[in-house]
Amino acid sequence: MSVEAAVLAQDLDRMREKELIRVSGLTKSFDQTLVLRHIDLSVAEGEVVSILGRSGGGKSTLLRCLNLLETPSGGSIEVAGRRVLADGVVASGREVHELRKDLGMVFQSFHLFPHLTAVENVALGAIEVRGKSRAEALDIAMDLLDKVGVAEKARSLPRALSGGQQQRVAIARALALRPKALLFDEPTSALDPESTIDVLRVMRELSSEGMTMLVVTHELAFAENVGSRIILMDGGEIIEDDAPAAVRQSSNPRTRSFFQSYAEG
Amino acid sequence: MFDGFNWAYFFAGLPKALGMTLAFTAVAFVCAIVVGVLIALMRTARIIPVKWFAAGYTEIFKNLPLITAIYIIYFGLPSVGIKFNIFVAGTLALVLFYGAYLSEIFRGGFLSVDKGQREAALAMGMRPLRVVTKIILPQAIRVALPGAGTMMVDALKGTSLLVTIGGAELMTHAAMVVSVTYRPFETYMLIGLVYFAMCFPLSRLVGGLEGRIASGIPLSPTRARMLRQVDMLVLARSGRLATSGSER
Repeated sequence: MSVEAAVLAQDLDRMREKELIRVSGLTKSFDQTLVLRHIDLSVAEGEVVSILGRSGGGKSTLLRCLNLLETPSGGSIEVAGRRVLADGVVASGREVHELRKDLGMVFQSFHLFPHLTAVENVALGAIEVRGKSRAEALDIAMDLLDKVGVAEKARSLPRALSGGQQQRVAIARALALRPKALLFDEPTSALDPESTIDVLRVMRELSSEGMTMLVVTHELAFAENVGSRIILMDGGEIIEDDAPAAVRQSSNPRTRSFFQSYAEG
Repeated sequence: MFDGFNWAYFFAGLPKALGMTLAFTAVAFVCAIVVGVLIALMRTARIIPVKWFAAGYTEIFKNLPLITAIYIIYFGLPSVGIKFNIFVAGTLALVLFYGAYLSEIFRGGFLSVDKGQREAALAMGMRPLRVVTKIILPQAIRVALPGAGTMMVDALKGTSLLVTIGGAELMTHAAMVVSVTYRPFETYMLIGLVYFAMCFPLSRLVGGLEGRIASGIPLSPTRARMLRQVDMLVLARSGRLATSGSER
């Protein structure tokens, strides 16, 4: 092997080391409708990837396939070196369990557990999944609630919280798993503008701390200012995957059409 | 009105009759809860015959008068060689009847839990069984508890129909007192009072429980302990904040 080839191989190894999520040939169909068409995707540690696209373009399905909330129809997924989907075959329950510990998820409608207080919602994952004692888990939960700015609501039930507060508790709940990456499925779509600012502030902080994030969003400003990459999906395909500036300048007519309709609201 | 009423005779048999009423209610209701949960789970099963069996059972017993069930079990079944004593026959009728209603209440409880709750718990890496016990059941129980409580009061009153097979409970006792004293008005008024004295506080208790559940009170001692720990933690942290604030 030449010196150049050896250096190239070392670089490739380094890239692979940093690669957290690798998706290849991912497909998903509901009945006869193909909603994800041969998706290839690689996400490195610390990247903030914004997934944009029209409704029904497959963005949320892609996210839900990553942590196997939806069972893909084909393809492969590797997360943190663990192959959880190989040629359309899902790994064992134990592997899926480990995968979900690595990928915390934040939903559009929060899905906090309504019978538990905010602090219990956050502590639950630490107890159930990370095997922490109650005292340790509550301590972790209080720290995380403090981090997302809702510590004073620790003893409140979700219904007593505003949408923005609920979403921040949901982020704290996902963080309690100490995930390697966070998946956000339209985290601000159900929020008023003020709450949206609060939630985006928390996400910006997480990004500056180096948290890997995949964010399905309609917040173009967030995607451009915070995201390191934009993935644009249309008709179940990735039509753009590049730095935000490059995607904005793309000459692809489908991309231009998307940004044009976005600008027209 | 009660001039010359044979109080001694009325009260002599009352404790035993009261005990029987409570025994019928307690045994039947506990068994009916088990049947109700099982049937509710069967109705959500993916295996079609299981689902149909559960639905068939519920529809039959929901649309059959309780007294018909009592007669079929106690008077009808012996003709095909199945014979139960009065307590078993009476309890079985109550279990089958209230089990059907409770299954509907529990099914409603399960269905009321948003699909997203299960997904959120699974997405956290929780095991499926833990998702059921920690997330789905506590929420379903909160929805089902008021309805189930009302059914318990109804079951207590329902035991009175066991007079038709000589169940030895309150109503049977009343019938015996009347046959001796010929004072139906006074006797049935008194028995009515006894039922009311049991059912009214029970109804109030169920109503009160409904309010407390809605306010998020812990249903298990483990959670009660956890909330106490939370209170102590919040207090300790607020103390720390106050101290660091005053130092500044």
